[in-house]
Amino acid sequence: MTTADRQTLSMHHSEVQVSVELQTPDMTLNLGPQHPSTHGVLRLVARVDGEVIKELEPVVGYMHRGYEKLAEVRTYPQITALVNRIDWVSGFANEIPFMVATERLMDIEVPERAQYIRLILTEMARISNHLVFLSSLPLELGAATPLMHALRERERVLDLIEGVTGGRFHPNFNRIGGVKPAAAAGATQKKVVQDLPQGFVEQTKSAMEYVREVCADMVNLVLGNEIFMQRTKGVGVIPADKALAFGVSGPNLRASGVPFDLRKTDDYLPYSNFDFDVVTGSNGDCFDRYAVRLEEVVQASRIVDQAVSEIPAGDLQAKVPRIIKVPKGEIYVRAENPKGEMGYYIVSEGGRGPYRLKIRTASFSNLSVLSWLLKGQLVPDLIAILGSLDFVLGDVDR
Amino acid sequence: MSPSELAARIAGAVGSDHFSSDNGTAKVHIAADRWVDAHRTLSAEMPYFSWLSAIDWATEVVVGDAPESEDIEPRYEVLSCLGSVETGESVVLSTAVSKDDPSLDSLAEVYGGANWHEREAAEMFGIDFVGHPNLTGIYLPDSFEGHPLQKSFALLSREVKPWPGTVDVEPMPDEEGPSTENPEDAG
Repeated sequence: MTTADRQTLSMHHSEVQVSVELQTPDMTLNLGPQHPSTHGVLRLVARVDGEVIKELEPVVGYMHRGYEKLAEVRTYPQITALVNRIDWVSGFANEIPFMVATERLMDIEVPERAQYIRLILTEMARISNHLVFLSSLPLELGAATPLMHALRERERVLDLIEGVTGGRFHPNFNRIGGVKPAAAAGATQKKVVQDLPQGFVEQTKSAMEYVREVCADMVNLVLGNEIFMQRTKGVGVIPADKALAFGVSGPNLRASGVPFDLRKTDDYLPYSNFDFDVVTGSNGDCFDRYAVRLEEVVQASRIVDQAVSEIPAGDLQAKVPRIIKVPKGEIYVRAENPKGEMGYYIVSEGGRGPYRLKIRTASFSNLSVLSWLLKGQLVPDLIAILGSLDFVLGDVDR
Repeated sequence: MSPSELAARIAGAVGSDHFSSDNGTAKVHIAADRWVDAHRTLSAEMPYFSWLSAIDWATEVVVGDAPESEDIEPRYEVLSCLGSVETGESVVLSTAVSKDDPSLDSLAEVYGGANWHEREAAEMFGIDFVGHPNLTGIYLPDSFEGHPLQKSFALLSREVKPWPGTVDVEPMPDEEGPSTENPEDAG
C-alpha cells in the first residue's frame, strides 16, 4: 500500500458516521437455490424482522425440464423413461398412474401377476422414499445418527428393486400391458422370460423384518427425543381445511387428520386384497408428519409381506399391439405416491403419443402452501418445516 | 357412485347440461362466466383442489399429433380437478376460453391451491387469470419469450433434428399380430 492510498483510507474512516440507535429494518433473506435444507434447487426469498418471517416467496423452476411439452413429441412407451425421473426418490411409483391411464384408454387388462409385481415394487419405493425422509429431517435438526440407521435398511430395499428391475432409481420397468418380461438384458430368444430373481420372496421377507426393526428403533431414537420434540411439536401446523384447499396430499394431509388415501379409494392396483391401515395424525405439525410416515413404512412392509406370499402365477404382460396407438379419448388416473397424489391427465387424439399430457405431482401442491404456512414463523423453524414436507424439486418442477 | 352418476349430479349442482364420464373420468363443462361461481358452489362438497391446467385445441400443430377431427374449434380448454376426501370421488371441470382474448376469472380466492396452478397455466398458455393476486411466471426464466405449451410453439431442438425415437414407425407386415414388447419403442 502506498502512502497516497493510506491517506485516502484514513480520510474515509473519518467520514463514517456511527449510528447509536439500534435499528432493525426488515431484511430480505435469501435461502438457496443451493442450500442443504432445500433438498435441491429451491430458492426462498423471505422478508424477515429479526428472526420472524414476515413474508416469504418460494422461487421454483430451476429444475424445470418441460416434460409436458416433451411428452407431445414422444411415443407412449418412451414417456415411461421420462416419468420415472419426475420424483427420483420413488421412481418406480411414478410410472404406475401413467401406465394405468394408458392401459385403460387402450382397454388392456393387465395380468394379475404383473399387477402384484407392480404393487410390491410401488410399496418398496414408498419404503425407500420414507426412509430417506425419516433420516433427513433429524439430520437437518442436527441429529446424524438416524441417517445411518435408516439408509442402511433402505439399501436392502434398493437392492431388491435393483434385483428385479435392474435399476436402483430409474427402473423403467413397466411396459404397457404389464411389466418387462426379462429382468436382465441379453435374452435373445423371444420366449425366454426371466421372472422375479431366485430367492426374492425370502429376501423380501427378511428385508421387511429389518425395515420394521429400524422403524422401532426410530420411535425411540427420534420420536422420543426431547430435542426433536421441542423442535417439531406444534411447529408448522397445517389445519385440515387449509391443506385441502391447497391440494396438499399424501402423508402431509393425513398428518392433519384427514384419512384420505387413494390406495383405499381408487382401484389402480389391487390394494383391496390386502389388509393395511391408513395412518393419520391429529395436530398437522412437523412431529405428526414424521410420525405418520414412520408408521406408514410399517404398513407398507405389511402390504409387501402379504403380497409376496400370495403372488399369483401367470403372464407378465397382456397381449398388446406392436405399435402402440391409443384410441381417442381423455382420462385422468391418480395414484397414492409416497409424496401424495400423483396423476396423469392424458388427452389422446388416436396417435402414438399424447396430444396433451398433464402431470399432477404431489410436491408442487405440497409446496404451494409454503407462503401461507411460513408467515410469522421463526427462521430456525423454517428448516424443520421444509424438512417435514418431504418434497423433491424434480417433482415440483417436472 | 359411478362416474356417470357423479358427473350428472355435479352438472345439476352447477347448472350445466354438458357432461361426460368416458373412461371413468367424470367431466363437467361450465360456461366461462360461471367458472368461479361453480367452484364456489362445489367448494363445500369438494374441498380438495387437485390441479388446474389447460389444453390448446388447435387445428394446425407444430408438435404432437394433430387432432383427428377437422372441425374442431380453436380454443383453450381450462381444466380443474376437485375431489372429495370423504367419498374419494373426483371430478374434472372444464371451460372454453377464446384464443382472441384468453382470459378467465381466477380461482385463487376460492381455492388457495389454484394460485400456483394458474401461474403455471398463464405462463405456459398465455391465459390471463383476472383477479389473481400475483400472476407472475413460475418456471421459466424472466427473459423467456413465448408460451411453450401452445401448439404453435415449436420445440426448437426438434425443429433442427427430429427426435430419433420417431424413426421406428414402419408397421410390421403382421401389425395386427400380438407382440409382447416393442424393443425399439422402449425409450
